[in-house]
Amino acid sequence: MVNSENWDWECKEKLVADTTKWKSQFEDVWEPYISPDGEKIASIVKVGEGEFNIAVNKETWGEEPFEKIWYPRFSPDGRLTALITKEMEWTMAVDGKTWEEMYEYIWDTKFSADGKVIAATTKQDGVYGITVNEKTWKCPVNLQSIASYVISPDGKTLAAIAQTVRLAEADLDGFLKGTWSVVVNGKPWKDNYVDIYGLTISDDGKNIAAEYRAAICEYGIVVNETPWNEKFGCTWEPVFHPTNSDEITTPVRQGGQWFLATNGRIVWDTGFVSLLYQTYSPDGSKIAAAVAPQFAKWTVAVDGQPWSTTFNECLLKPCFSPDGRKVAVIAKDSGNWLLVVDGTVLGDGYENIWPPAFSPNGDKVIYKVEKNGKYAVAVNGKVKGKEYEALWNPVVSPDGTKVMICGVEAGKYYRKVVLLSDL
Amino acid sequence: MKPTIVKREPVVDDALDHCATKLTPEQIEKVVNEVIDKETGGRLWTYVNTCIHCGLCAEACQWYLSNDRDVSYAPVTKVKDTIWVMLEKKGKVDAAFIKRCSEIAHTECNVCRRCGMYCPFGIDIAYMMMVVRRICAKLEMVPLYLQDTVHSHAATMNQMWVKPDEWIDTLQWQEEEGQGYVPSARLPLEKEGAEVMYSVIGPEPKFLAQLLGNITAIMKVANIDWTMPATAGWDNSNMAMYSGDFEVMARVERLHYETAQRLKVKKIVMGECGHAFRGAEYDGPTWMGWMRPPIPLIHAISFYYDLIISGRIKIAKKAEGPITVQDPCNVIRNAGLGKKLRYIMNAVCENFVDVTPNDRHNYCCNAGGGVINVGPPWKKKRVQGNRIKAEQFKRTGAHTIVTPCHNCHSGIEDIVNTYKLGMHVKFFSEILIEAMEIPEDLQP
Repeated sequence: MVNSENWDWECKEKLVADTTKWKSQFEDVWEPYISPDGEKIASIVKVGEGEFNIAVNKETWGEEPFEKIWYPRFSPDGRLTALITKEMEWTMAVDGKTWEEMYEYIWDTKFSADGKVIAATTKQDGVYGITVNEKTWKCPVNLQSIASYVISPDGKTLAAIAQTVRLAEADLDGFLKGTWSVVVNGKPWKDNYVDIYGLTISDDGKNIAAEYRAAICEYGIVVNETPWNEKFGCTWEPVFHPTNSDEITTPVRQGGQWFLATNGRIVWDTGFVSLLYQTYSPDGSKIAAAVAPQFAKWTVAVDGQPWSTTFNECLLKPCFSPDGRKVAVIAKDSGNWLLVVDGTVLGDGYENIWPPAFSPNGDKVIYKVEKNGKYAVAVNGKVKGKEYEALWNPVVSPDGTKVMICGVEAGKYYRKVVLLSDL
Repeated sequence: MKPTIVKREPVVDDALDHCATKLTPEQIEKVVNEVIDKETGGRLWTYVNTCIHCGLCAEACQWYLSNDRDVSYAPVTKVKDTIWVMLEKKGKVDAAFIKRCSEIAHTECNVCRRCGMYCPFGIDIAYMMMVVRRICAKLEMVPLYLQDTVHSHAATMNQMWVKPDEWIDTLQWQEEEGQGYVPSARLPLEKEGAEVMYSVIGPEPKFLAQLLGNITAIMKVANIDWTMPATAGWDNSNMAMYSGDFEVMARVERLHYETAQRLKVKKIVMGECGHAFRGAEYDGPTWMGWMRPPIPLIHAISFYYDLIISGRIKIAKKAEGPITVQDPCNVIRNAGLGKKLRYIMNAVCENFVDVTPNDRHNYCCNAGGGVINVGPPWKKKRVQGNRIKAEQFKRTGAHTIVTPCHNCHSGIEDIVNTYKLGMHVKFFSEILIEAMEIPEDLQP
């Protein structure tokens, strides 16, 4: 995990960078990204015809430009990564220093929770792989494609949904025999499947699960290469229990309705028109999910019990307060995005709402909102403080007393720390 | 009831032929009754019991008209020869019957819904064909190339087996192509909070990449804050909807919208495709339990209409005429964009010549509804089945047909070639890119 205790929680406000200067300094400036601690802001900048660099606060990544740069992402430990080309070949750059190996292509940068592991999907000589801290998987079979991959919090386990068998054009039988599998740290699972979806690793890194497709309309869950005995008309992505990784829960479809199943057994006996985004409370004692008890009537069900308030468009993923007592969700109703806690709508509707953060005791919910093209921080349904041209998600300090707010005002990027009690 | 006299040239489709040898009566009975009992309801029964077998629907169908009014192509016959029999026999039908059902529903009906307009009771005959397709799909009785396309959707979340790196690489290449028109144009990948997510269908990066370059330039001239995803979820098309594999359909649509939600855009603007609009606007959301798309979806016709009428794009030089248009069923008949289409056609064409019949009453291109996706074995029948479309275009005297839909585009190219019409087939954006004014400060 990122150790945010070492961040500066004392300085009330600092002007980190005047990004207005970038516009006169460079031919073009792309959208900015900030480091997790808020101390750095970076943008890809165009410095000449077919020449790009990255501006970070008052500096750039050296004098030598790159042919292309994209996907700038800060690691949790504050290093800036980006994908770059030199002489038509691609690689990763970390704080301006490129990996030694070059690739036909590289994409989808991911990090371990502490940022020490940097990974990406790579392609070389037509073969796909995952490259982890500059070392590419040595896989016993040539991977034909990688659809996606996941990384455990400790960075020790990486698992990919990969095509392990070459498929001829329009080979329906070959496809149904299975050409996709899960590859863990370079080692494919023994079986191939028609399709694999919803790949996930438990928080302790010990267990890996995914949805698999057994036949045209037959789906199941496979955990550590062993499929559940039960099969369903459809499934969505499984989720591991946060403290007991032997337990896994997923939405399953039977007889035209969606149910919640744990380890193959239906645990919510009420069927729903739709059921998505099941989420465990931090201690794993409760489960919340977005459900539609009726068509176009969306709400949250906690342990199978739906809230009475419903919303007519959609719901995003619910989240629990740290103590597990409250559940917040972003809902859409009649064109407005709403923040809802335990079935109660907080404040007005907005053009956009970003995932909320709870205070440690759950009495405050803090989130970024957008209205009339400007961004602000809202707390329990009320906008607090200034509007920004750009704003990042507010971060609550580890002791729960302060909030870091990072935003751009009049082209200048500020990092602010405010007392939670003042919000 | 008298059996229908069906005269067809034999077509070899390995998937249908193979499936017909392995299906058992028990499997068929189980699936037919499962679908009818659990996936349909009052709607199917109302349609079946309301139909008075008058046959007025026949005159609506391009298959029937193009085949010299062969009654075996009439919509009512297609219903009579499929779902009626399944209901009457309570699913006790054989594999040869199911194979014929697939031929009818997948290769001889475009689910274009023109027949529903001519039915005195407004029966949605296409819905009944979709039920037939659903039954066939669950029995794996789907034409080979359509099923292969559905497998592509299922495995890659796009229609054309495009791999993740190929997608991103193509966008980066086409960004440079767009800069040929407007040097400062950019194709922004993964830009969170952009106003618009632009989504396309699989054939664009695969075969028609220049359309991505065009939109890069158009977005810059119109000063749109936009983005495209660098992940799966970029493809808005959905042939699984048309094979009858609704689970794959829903997974594709869900990812499309979750990608837009992840990027926090206000709306999705989609390229020129009709069936993709249907899947993303209606069928996908309905299956997911959404009353409407969770992020508003704008078809290219509406988008270009807004850009032109608002003056965000000005026309410098209209395309020289005569130019005509194809009304894609899923966005014109079924979504009412006919007037907007005519507005933008008149805006960019010096001499726009309309088709007759037109707008909601226009004939289907005969490629939509997944029919072109059943592939080469069925092409001859498909092209013969739309002679009236060729005759319609010929009457316009146009040198170019604009098709704001990929399936229309491909199907009409086949008709133009077969019937030797000597016309060009273009997307609207291909006309617009040449006609629009590029402001001085954006010029090369």
